[in-house]
Amino acid sequence: MLVTGATTPIGRAVIDRLLAADDVSAVLACGRESAAACGLPLEAPGLSYESCDLRRPRVVHDLLFGSARRLELTAVVHASHHRDARHEGRAVHQQNVASTRELLRLLDRHPTIRRFVLRSHAEVYRVDSECPDILDEDQPLELGPTAPQWIRDRVEADLTACARTGLSRAAIVVLRCAECLAPGCGSQLHDFLSSAVCLRPLGFDPMINVISIPDIAAAVLAALRGEAQGVFNIPGADTLSLSRAVSLAGRADIPVPGPALAPLYGLRSRLLGTGFRYDVTSARLHFNGVLDGRRAREELGYTPTYPVDWAALREQLSVERRALGRVAALLGR
Amino acid sequence: MASVSPATPSICGAGLGGRRRRRARHAALHPSEERGRSRTVASEWGESRIRGGNLDVLRSLARRGDRGTLAPTSEGMAEDALEERLRRVKIRDAGHGYDALGLDRAGVRRALRLAYPLYKHYFRVRSYGAEQIPAEGPVILAANHSGSLPLDGVMISLDAFLHTEPPRVVRAVGDYFVSRLPLVSTLFARAGVIGGTRGTVRHALEEGELLLIFPEGSPGIGKPFSQRYQLAPWRVGHAELAIRHRAKVVPVAVVGAEEQWPVIAQLPVQVFGAPYLPIMATPLPLPVRYHIHYGAPMELGRGPEDADDPELVAAAADQVRAAVEGLIARGLEAREGVFR
Repeated sequence: MLVTGATTPIGRAVIDRLLAADDVSAVLACGRESAAACGLPLEAPGLSYESCDLRRPRVVHDLLFGSARRLELTAVVHASHHRDARHEGRAVHQQNVASTRELLRLLDRHPTIRRFVLRSHAEVYRVDSECPDILDEDQPLELGPTAPQWIRDRVEADLTACARTGLSRAAIVVLRCAECLAPGCGSQLHDFLSSAVCLRPLGFDPMINVISIPDIAAAVLAALRGEAQGVFNIPGADTLSLSRAVSLAGRADIPVPGPALAPLYGLRSRLLGTGFRYDVTSARLHFNGVLDGRRAREELGYTPTYPVDWAALREQLSVERRALGRVAALLGR
Repeated sequence: MASVSPATPSICGAGLGGRRRRRARHAALHPSEERGRSRTVASEWGESRIRGGNLDVLRSLARRGDRGTLAPTSEGMAEDALEERLRRVKIRDAGHGYDALGLDRAGVRRALRLAYPLYKHYFRVRSYGAEQIPAEGPVILAANHSGSLPLDGVMISLDAFLHTEPPRVVRAVGDYFVSRLPLVSTLFARAGVIGGTRGTVRHALEEGELLLIFPEGSPGIGKPFSQRYQLAPWRVGHAELAIRHRAKVVPVAVVGAEEQWPVIAQLPVQVFGAPYLPIMATPLPLPVRYHIHYGAPMELGRGPEDADDPELVAAAADQVRAAVEGLIARGLEAREGVFR
């Protein structure tokens, strides 16, 4: 198995599960960090690591037709997406979209790889008052002209994979995963909860669904092992209201009139440099958007099993805040 | 399809003979004495409507044997019993006490506390035939809609909650714009209201929920006073859903709501996506008495594949409409006055 984005928390969890599986003999992990800094158990039998920048087509080619062919890998798990919503531009687009397109293009003539699993996101769905509260795989995607690049890129990568489904020699599986409430996973909801005070739209308390890292890893493994291809929603075990999530994360929940939120969050982002972007998440703070996981249950055999560990999340957020406070104090001096 | 005309005297009861009307009132007021005679009374009303021009409606009702019952089951229930019923409600907990559509027990309790005084003391709701609501499985309550504010939906929801065994929470299907309303959207969602999108409704039916749909939609709730008890154009979505998901349809007629809050004008102002801004004749709804009549459950179509046949769906929707019209007509004839 080839795993991109291997140094992210999700990539690591997938690799751990692959290494623990009896039917996986070789795992090639790749990430941008050096081998020394990748944080993977490189001493584990069957695991190898390659530091590479997937934004460069030549690197993608060499990865697939070099190491991957030599190891006779049969599947790719593509989980490499830019995770910071503050960054935009060509380089981000290349990492999110161009690398996906290049991988898919090369798989057509790859001698051994026959399965491609893309970790996509629930954020690709359009959420508004005219969309259902329960989102199945046929719901409209967020293709609005005002959608920020963070969403546009995810939609484009998702559609790039969807467009090749059934045409490529490799079976393609797109997993639209619910928001993963963990640091380093590119979750805007996690960034939202990172602040001690969470401002949310007054009068709105939408239902959300969040997933834990172990559940995403389980879904990836189910996608690798099954025969099915296509698009699958991957919901988590936690379906709750936004206010309840704020409360469970130990944050202060302050409803604010909707029109005031954009300037307030804009100001906070400029002053504190927080990763949360209101324009990316605005609709999800107003309207329900819970993934319907029926297709994944029926065809992949995936059911969410591991709820989010809210106590650990609370502790982790507190640690982050304390660290931020110390940095701010140092800068102040 | 016959439609109820405002000029049809039998609808307002004016076409009934004095003796027949007295007997009807007696039946409504003294159900225990008159229960055995109710079918005869209904039959006589049917005859009067034949003279009034609603022969098709009556014939279709007669074919199905759908005469309902005019015996009021209850005027209200002690408030402390609400909590006991609420404890027995099955909520499909998707984690953290909410179902996937946002309903939670605390939200239902809050809604009950708000609505019950209105139900019992203000609108003094009388319920007829609620025992016909199936105890389980997907069910659609299809009702006439009126009253400027969806108080009829609130009263039907509470009435069904009080009269189903085990208690069922009604999932009223709201218009798109409801989810754009601050506060209201959340209060409604916690109490069981769901958005009127196909995906959401499909999910609710697959979960075996009890849905309340107003096939007239927004035009029904905003119709002028002069058009009371005339059904606005009857949409067919409920029939399609019922056929596709094998849900039973219970026709429901609300008598009283159409007089509760006369609209004197509709301003073409769209706030939060609502189609208009109504101007009422009175500052508050009038304390009319609600009579909620339930018909026998209807099974539409032969199988899910019929849901893709537009003609069959339209015919099924007409069947539901006729049943609701019949219930309205009977309810109007039975009541003694708007406030009684």
